[in-house]
Amino acid sequence: MVETFAAGPLFSLAGKTVLLTGASGFLGRTMLRALLDNGASVLAMGGSDRVEGLLAPLNQEYGAGRVQAWRVDFHDIAAVERALAEIDRQHPVVDVIVNNAHELGPRTGFNVPEGHLENATFDGWTRNMTAGVYWASLTTQRIGLGMKNRGKGSIVNISTMYALVAPSPQLYAGTDFINPPGYSASKAALLAFTRYTASFWGPFGVRANAILPGPFSNTGQNSDNSVAPDDPFLDKLKARTVLGRVGNPRELVGALLYLASDASSFTTGHAMVVDGGWTIV
Amino acid sequence: MKTDLFDLTGRVAAITGGGGLLGMQHAAVIAAHGGIPVLVDVTDAREKAAGLTKTHGVPALACQCDITQPESVQQLLQTILARFGRLDILINNAANNPKMESSAEVNFSRLENFPIAQWHADIAVGLTGAHLCCQVLGSYMAQTFRECGRRGVILNVASDLAIIGPDQRIYRQPGVAEHLQPAKPVTYSVVKSGLVGLTRYLATYWAASGVRVNAVSPGGIYNGQPEEFVQKLANLIPLGRMANLDEYQGTVLYMVSDASSYMTGHNLVVDGGRTAW
Repeated sequence: MVETFAAGPLFSLAGKTVLLTGASGFLGRTMLRALLDNGASVLAMGGSDRVEGLLAPLNQEYGAGRVQAWRVDFHDIAAVERALAEIDRQHPVVDVIVNNAHELGPRTGFNVPEGHLENATFDGWTRNMTAGVYWASLTTQRIGLGMKNRGKGSIVNISTMYALVAPSPQLYAGTDFINPPGYSASKAALLAFTRYTASFWGPFGVRANAILPGPFSNTGQNSDNSVAPDDPFLDKLKARTVLGRVGNPRELVGALLYLASDASSFTTGHAMVVDGGWTIV
Repeated sequence: MKTDLFDLTGRVAAITGGGGLLGMQHAAVIAAHGGIPVLVDVTDAREKAAGLTKTHGVPALACQCDITQPESVQQLLQTILARFGRLDILINNAANNPKMESSAEVNFSRLENFPIAQWHADIAVGLTGAHLCCQVLGSYMAQTFRECGRRGVILNVASDLAIIGPDQRIYRQPGVAEHLQPAKPVTYSVVKSGLVGLTRYLATYWAASGVRVNAVSPGGIYNGQPEEFVQKLANLIPLGRMANLDEYQGTVLYMVSDASSYMTGHNLVVDGGRTAW
């Protein structure tokens, strides 16, 4: 059974247009539904054909035109620029940007030998920095500019708890898992960029905030960054949190709706940590 | 399956300083989403509770209580349980907000003159009061929730001045001698910073009991302050203004509802960006 996330008027996105990147990923899929459930129309960007696959069923469920799929290879910067220009032409008013995309795979060093500090490569670093902070800066620059000119808008950047604390080597000892250095560095850079945007565009009514998820493990799907439900690695993650469990994507919905909507009208430049207490011990 | 992550139907929320300006805002948003606010206040807040009941149709309650006294807080818990049989949410919102007397010779808001009695009084309400409410009401939640599997929430109301020091220049008045210039009282920064430490302590202490503990750090609320002061403060804030009185309702509702079920030990800063630059 599909869960719906309709919240009250305080968190309403009715009539608003939201640009969501990484829309077909593990967290993005839940974010997409939460945005739709609260009245938004969503421009769903993604790098794989999954994003196009979302289109028909969601438009049937929510009404024609509520979701537009924009498939683009985010490492082809010229293609991203073209896509954003076209989005801007078709949708001159975008009210919210959710920068959620990242590349969690072998080429960014996830769960491969190149992901270890000793082996990190220029290519891996560049892809992490591009995905972690440059993509967000591009959507902000190209689409957020309209917000600045209209005097209102909200930008939500999805960072990670690893922007605040380092992954612990104890988690990875004896496993094939590794979280690469470029990921932490790029997501910390994203926090700096979030504050930069909040500072420079705050006077124009544009808010920029970050969500820092803790362990939200993808246990339901076979992907480059998924983990089997019975993998002992999962127990290590759980034990490292204060609440003793990993998060479910639905537990990011509240933070997303809060930051995207007018419920957070005085919140900007903040790094909102949703990590089950990982970073406080 | 429909999930309103922000629904509070039937949940009982004790709000210290509940009869005050900001406390009533917390109470209103809780009542509007089905929760039952208990206005805990040293003054008589019965009329305000009646107003909430009339507007929102929930059985709001006023409890006169001196949160600096353990017996008074014990009595508070008994009153809440006798009336509702449960307690789900505690918002530590109370703080002393004294008008600092000054004379032609001495300004008591200044650190060098700050009266020890004022220090004790401010710490008693802001920190000891929060500790006692957590000790009594929080321990009750931790104990019962361990038994029945329900979850509880504590929200401590801190301040942007838990993160940065007060910029004393915005409190200065023209034409006043240096030693008589007013200052933001030291207890404010100490109490609010202490609440953030208390938040993290309790978040780890009660994690296994299903009680989440978070803080919110609001910036200043516009409440008719002199224009010159407002302008000076607004210049320190990227959004270029103080907060509106009702502007923290969304934050509070997020923090006390299941919408924040994976958040504990966090200090959510709502300051218009003041601490981001």
